[in-house]
Amino acid sequence: MSTAEFESVDVLEAEMTTPAPSMVTELEARNVSVWFGPRKVLEGVNMSFPKHSVTALIGPSGCGKSTFIRTLNRLHELIPGAALAGEILYEGKDIYSRDVDPVHIRLAIGMVFQKPNPFPSMTIRGNVLSGLKLSGMKRSNHDDIVEETLTAAGLWTEVKDRLDRAGGELSGGQQQRLVIARALAVQPHVLLMDEPCSALDPASTLKIEETIRQLSKEVTIVIVTHNMQQAVRVADNTAFFLAAENEPGRVIEQGSTTEIFGNPKDERTLDYVNGRFG
Amino acid sequence: MSTQTLDPSTLPSLAEQRPQRPWRKRTPKFTASVVLAVVVPAIVAGFLWQTSSIPTPVLMVAIYLPLQLVASTLASLATRGRRGIADSVVIVSAIGATVFSLVILLSLLGSLIVRGWKALSPSFLLQNNVYISPSTPLEYGGIGHAVLGTALIVFLASLVAVPIGIATAIYITEVRGRAVPYVRFFVQSMSGVPSVVAGLFILTTLIVTGALTQSALAGGLAYAILMLPTVARTAEEVLRLVPDELRTGALALGSTRARTVFRVVLPAARTGIVTAIILGIARIIGETAPLLLAAGNSDQTILNPTGSPVASLPTYIFNNVALPYPDAVTRAWGAALALMIFVAILFTLARVLSRGRLGR
Repeated sequence: MSTAEFESVDVLEAEMTTPAPSMVTELEARNVSVWFGPRKVLEGVNMSFPKHSVTALIGPSGCGKSTFIRTLNRLHELIPGAALAGEILYEGKDIYSRDVDPVHIRLAIGMVFQKPNPFPSMTIRGNVLSGLKLSGMKRSNHDDIVEETLTAAGLWTEVKDRLDRAGGELSGGQQQRLVIARALAVQPHVLLMDEPCSALDPASTLKIEETIRQLSKEVTIVIVTHNMQQAVRVADNTAFFLAAENEPGRVIEQGSTTEIFGNPKDERTLDYVNGRFG
Repeated sequence: MSTQTLDPSTLPSLAEQRPQRPWRKRTPKFTASVVLAVVVPAIVAGFLWQTSSIPTPVLMVAIYLPLQLVASTLASLATRGRRGIADSVVIVSAIGATVFSLVILLSLLGSLIVRGWKALSPSFLLQNNVYISPSTPLEYGGIGHAVLGTALIVFLASLVAVPIGIATAIYITEVRGRAVPYVRFFVQSMSGVPSVVAGLFILTTLIVTGALTQSALAGGLAYAILMLPTVARTAEEVLRLVPDELRTGALALGSTRARTVFRVVLPAARTGIVTAIILGIARIIGETAPLLLAAGNSDQTILNPTGSPVASLPTYIFNNVALPYPDAVTRAWGAALALMIFVAILFTLARVLSRGRLGR
């Protein structure tokens, strides 16, 4: 167990030095502002997510990171009173334009939530395959998909002998990796992760970070995190969100992770990444 | 900051430790006053019960209860001062109210068992009422036809009320359309409809117009009117308990709203939905008025849902209990006991199922 963890750290470090991802933009936010009822919570966010990159969104609580990430796959609109301005381009097309079906968007842009949410009425295997059933997606060789995605999520060895047990029986960290596997089974092009490790212990966190690095070879990842070391470890790019009192959240600074953490241009970013507020 | 090390010799030895409950330690004075406060009123009331001719209920309410109240107040005044008075008043009234309602419930159950027990036998549960007159001895005839009739009527009612009730709950919690406040208002009003009105409604709209005759189907429809609000409201409550994370989780996998409801939300609420159905059945199974009007009565075992009046447990009880023959009255009590047992089984089933491992 412990040797495996040490190895994974080595893998992580090795991959930190891999060259920057391609420059093709897969997802792009243009002047996105968000309201809940009359209250504006986010203003003028411009951000582009290069294909197969990992982007970390950091900032104190209540600055609109989670809200922003939920606009990227049209989950935002499920909240009563939600409103939005601006454009979100996925492969060059606005996902909010009238002829776009939100179901297709959510299928291509998957999401992992802060709180693990395996479906309680399904087995581990059923949970992994649930996306296929729910979206009506046809993929053959379900056994292979289960093994493949659970391996990618770093859970396979722990559950391979009890795939028919309830998903809710797993520990919190295992449940989180289970829902990552579930999100991967529908082969999303983009994976949004809203503080996926906030409820996990360091060992599970490390496993998920390792998973993120692995996935970023094939999937574009956007991750909200409060853990700055995590942003440094996994993200190619970082964006810093901040909301002044009674004002909507804004992006204060964004750029490559090395720059944001090593040489921030804005004083507030410098303070935040050094843990001086927030 | 430095940590102080305690001298081990001053600490109690670990070897001698036994599990204790220090929060339960009472002073002798406290124990004595509690014992006195319980024993003295009981002895006084028991003495009066033996020697005087005061009726028992009057004795309990007018003498024992005030006496107990005063005794407890004095006891808590002695042990805890004035703060204890309010405490003891609340405790004595709470226990008194609980015992009062339990006594009513248990005496009801007791009289059912005492008077109905004689009638209960395998033949009573299986035979029907053909060739049975009110004066026929208890060994002959039974409620089999009424049990089957009730089962048939309840089944038909469920066939109508369960899908509509669950659909209503889904509309309120999942679809969240604009009419939700109005739908909830109507469902709540419906649960206040007197059962005789439901029977009259079916009578005037379906039976008087000639669309149906008095039958299991007509009775089932009248029952459905009463069952629908219970199913809808209970199902609504259990669907509300399904965490929103599951819904967003399913939607984030590219699920449609409909698939989310049918494959994630309803399975997660499965046991609660079963409870809703059982509570709906328990709500209606004893209703008499709608069946008198819509289903009629029969002595025969009827399995045809339309075309002929059908017997049921409530109407059987209704028809027998007022007859001037002791055996007929005993039959009515026996049927009432059987009905009570069925309801108890249903409620137990609902409790057991809702304790299920998955989908709380």
